Amino acid sequence: MKRSILTAIGLAVVVPLALASCSNGGGTASSTESATASGPVTLSLAGWSLKTTPEFQKLADAFHAANPNITVDVKEYDATNYDTQMTADLAAGSAPDIYVQKNLKNFITYQSGNQLLDVSDVAAKVGNEVSGLADYKVDGKTYAIPYRQDSWYLYYNKDLFSAANVKTPDGSWTWDDYATAAENLTSGLKAAGNPALGTYQHTWQSTVQGLALAQTPKADLLSGNFSYLKPYYERALKLQKDGAQVNYGTVTTNNLNYGAQFGTQKSAMMIMGSWYVATLIAQQANGDANTFNWGIAPAPQYDSSTAGTGKTPVTFGDPTGLGINPAINKSKVAAAKEFLAFVASEDGAKGLADIGITPAHVSDAATAAYFNFKGMPTDNLSKFTFSTHNTKPENPVSKHTAGLQNILADLHSSVMSGSASIDDAIKTAEGRAKNEVLNQ
Amino acid sequence: MATTFETRRPGSRLRLRNTLMGWSFILPNFVGFALLTLVPVVALFYLAFTSWNVFGAAKWIGTANFTRMVGDASFWTAFRNTVYYTVFHIPLTLVVSLALAVLLNQKMRGVAFFRTAAFFPYITSIVAIAVVWNMLFSPDYGPINQFLRAVGVSDPPGWTTSGTWAMPAVIIVGTWREMGYYMLLFLAGLQSIPGELYEAARVDGANAWQRFRNITIPSLRPTTFFITVMLTIGSFKVFDLILVMTNGGPGQSTLVLSQYIYQKGFLENQFGYASSISIVLFAVCIAITVFQFLMNKRRDA
Repeated sequence: MKRSILTAIGLAVVVPLALASCSNGGGTASSTESATASGPVTLSLAGWSLKTTPEFQKLADAFHAANPNITVDVKEYDATNYDTQMTADLAAGSAPDIYVQKNLKNFITYQSGNQLLDVSDVAAKVGNEVSGLADYKVDGKTYAIPYRQDSWYLYYNKDLFSAANVKTPDGSWTWDDYATAAENLTSGLKAAGNPALGTYQHTWQSTVQGLALAQTPKADLLSGNFSYLKPYYERALKLQKDGAQVNYGTVTTNNLNYGAQFGTQKSAMMIMGSWYVATLIAQQANGDANTFNWGIAPAPQYDSSTAGTGKTPVTFGDPTGLGINPAINKSKVAAAKEFLAFVASEDGAKGLADIGITPAHVSDAATAAYFNFKGMPTDNLSKFTFSTHNTKPENPVSKHTAGLQNILADLHSSVMSGSASIDDAIKTAEGRAKNEVLNQ
Repeated sequence: MATTFETRRPGSRLRLRNTLMGWSFILPNFVGFALLTLVPVVALFYLAFTSWNVFGAAKWIGTANFTRMVGDASFWTAFRNTVYYTVFHIPLTLVVSLALAVLLNQKMRGVAFFRTAAFFPYITSIVAIAVVWNMLFSPDYGPINQFLRAVGVSDPPGWTTSGTWAMPAVIIVGTWREMGYYMLLFLAGLQSIPGELYEAARVDGANAWQRFRNITIPSLRPTTFFITVMLTIGSFKVFDLILVMTNGGPGQSTLVLSQYIYQKGFLENQFGYASSISIVLFAVCIAITVFQFLMNKRRDA
């Protein structure tokens, strides 16, 4: 009896070990197998929430159709914990051959940790039509290739504008025009018996700080001087005080959903990233959002020098790029680079635009494909907004960026909630930046 | 005992076998503990003296992390906030849970129901609690402020959206959540007090307050001690509730140490610095616990 227990325990310990070593062996065997230079190659690619994020599979399929010899397998990760899981997999040596730089903030961690292959040759090949490419440059070398470049627009509800009898954006708006419109919309809608507000500002610091950083001349996040934020916060606080947008406290305590705010016509305008285009269309189709006429306009500008359809409006957004895991089998590097070149090419861009995603590669063909997407607004201003803008990064690549953004997140919550005055909050943030981040 | 090993008597074989058996019984648990807790904890002490951003080797930098901490204003803010939370959360929870326990130790109709109801918050998901309380605390439309306005408070606090009131709001929710659990412990303690003591006191003419003061409180000493220790450790490492309710804000008004560690480690990838803050938090918890044990011992003597 006793012996049998001991044996059982022994088995319980030994069997999983043996299994683990077996599966290990199997793994290496299959990867060497597919690595033969001339034969078919299988690359692995990281992605997240594959059911609701079709872009990875789309790119993999389009690439395979163009290069039947190379297959790309998408490996799924969790969207919220993507960077944590990827970090663990890279450290353990089990990460896929190609992985996504989900945001620019963490790029530096991968790059400085030697977890990205130099892909400068691919960068030279894809050329200047690809926006966001420069953001992945460190010391003259490029470490990732962007396939997607989101940027921020002004979304507006045409029906609510006409109900309030306010003129819709014409592409020439500065921030003052935007604030006036928000106030007029609120009072106009109220007079028409509609409880909707002029605009909606979500809780994220980006909604104020991203545009302030991108548009203000000489604004530099890494300088540790944050005075450029002041006019942007003054405007936001005034709109909030006048009741032209929902109070920040109400948004945070009630966990308001920005998609519901704009999609169910609770606000006539909203400044939001380009990913929301596809979301809004999907929600209008499945009934989560009301059916109404809407359009996109360039984000309001700092001054008239960049405002107007004859000029290039400035906005912000971080690219999403692909990088190559240095642990990739040497014989697969060429194929992986080919894939990277493909995602930033016109063909790759068309594939992405087909499913309502803003590709990094800018071309007329991609614009045409994008506006072919069912449910997309088709007015000229929306097309101009999509195709013409100067998108600056929200998170300039530096080891200090993550720390500075955390400090600015504190500034955002204390100013928007009214816990501190703008000047005090900026002073605190500048002091902290100097003493806690920039000196590291 | 030790002699049995020197000469190989038949008993020693049995003993060896029993030892092996014992070990093999705890092995499955111990392997998990060693892998998932012991190794990381030991590694923590090493990492605290390094600069490490996850990839590559950790660079040994001596006590630089600790000197940095001394000059780090955010660390001190987090430290002060943690103490603030602890100082109010412990006595409040003690009083409320003891009061509840005394109340529900009474013979009354539906006592089982009320005991269960008081325990409910503890088994509810923290995220759900944080989200719902946040709505209750909503400054303009939340029921709490609407009630306050109805009873004549013209300018009710902004709760989680105000730098001054965010911490009290979090403390209230923390207390509300945990009172049921500690009530249960107190209840167990109360039921082990022999009824004769109360009878004797009553015969001697002691009133309810005197009985509570002179019988209940002293008899509950071991329970109270245990609860205080648990509460102290729990308060110092409060994290999830604050993360979901206020995320440390507005500004840094509810930033606590655990959250600061999380921020430095997982958001800014400074695992060395985050580890050194963890060690400080650990040291503080240990020091206070040892102090409590010493105090308890002295009172026992």
